[in-house]
Amino acid sequence: MPSLSYQEKSLYGELVADLAVFVPYFIIMHTHQATLTVSFIAASITILIAAQIFLQAVIAAFTRNRLKDERDRLIRLRGYRAGYITIVTIMLILMSMLWVHSSLKQITPAHMALHFLTVFFAVLMLAEIVKTITQLAAYRRPL
Amino acid sequence: MPGLRNTLRDLRAAHSMTQQELADAIGVTRQTVIAIELDKYSPSLETAFRIAHVFSVPLEQVFQYDPPSSKKK
Repeated sequence: MPSLSYQEKSLYGELVADLAVFVPYFIIMHTHQATLTVSFIAASITILIAAQIFLQAVIAAFTRNRLKDERDRLIRLRGYRAGYITIVTIMLILMSMLWVHSSLKQITPAHMALHFLTVFFAVLMLAEIVKTITQLAAYRRPL
Repeated sequence: MPGLRNTLRDLRAAHSMTQQELADAIGVTRQTVIAIELDKYSPSLETAFRIAHVFSVPLEQVFQYDPPSSKKK
């Protein structure tokens, strides 16, 4: 097992929290689409924030050296670039799908805002996961 | 890293210095020192000079660059 820096531990914490919230959210969203509400999305975001705070606090408490250097900053930028590309690409695809469904009257105008919110949250979560995985991979590869 | 080599491990051994001690001296993490030693990361010019300063040697004694053309010969 290679030794992990504070930044790597923090990224693993982020990934665990993201997956712990996003996977159940995605499953529930697909199985109970009809009963989906804004409060469900809000609850998911709240749980995600609480999980992130808890995990990051635990990691910080058990790590003595929390130094961040030039390599960490370079890797962080690389991750954000991957996350941005993910946001742009998936947002374009999902918004196009949303537009097609609404044009075919498969989504009522009343549900449009909720669907938009769902897509927006899903894209943000996917981009966050891609960003974190890219950063974790960068720590193990030549820069 | 293609083209760039370093003698960090040898210099560290000659000065009986651990990776953590060197990391603390130049203000980076131990993982970054490991990445430099394994040629997986080219440090910034500032960090490179700091390393040379710690060992009191010229920069070219720590880092050597082989241009791609010299490899073909």
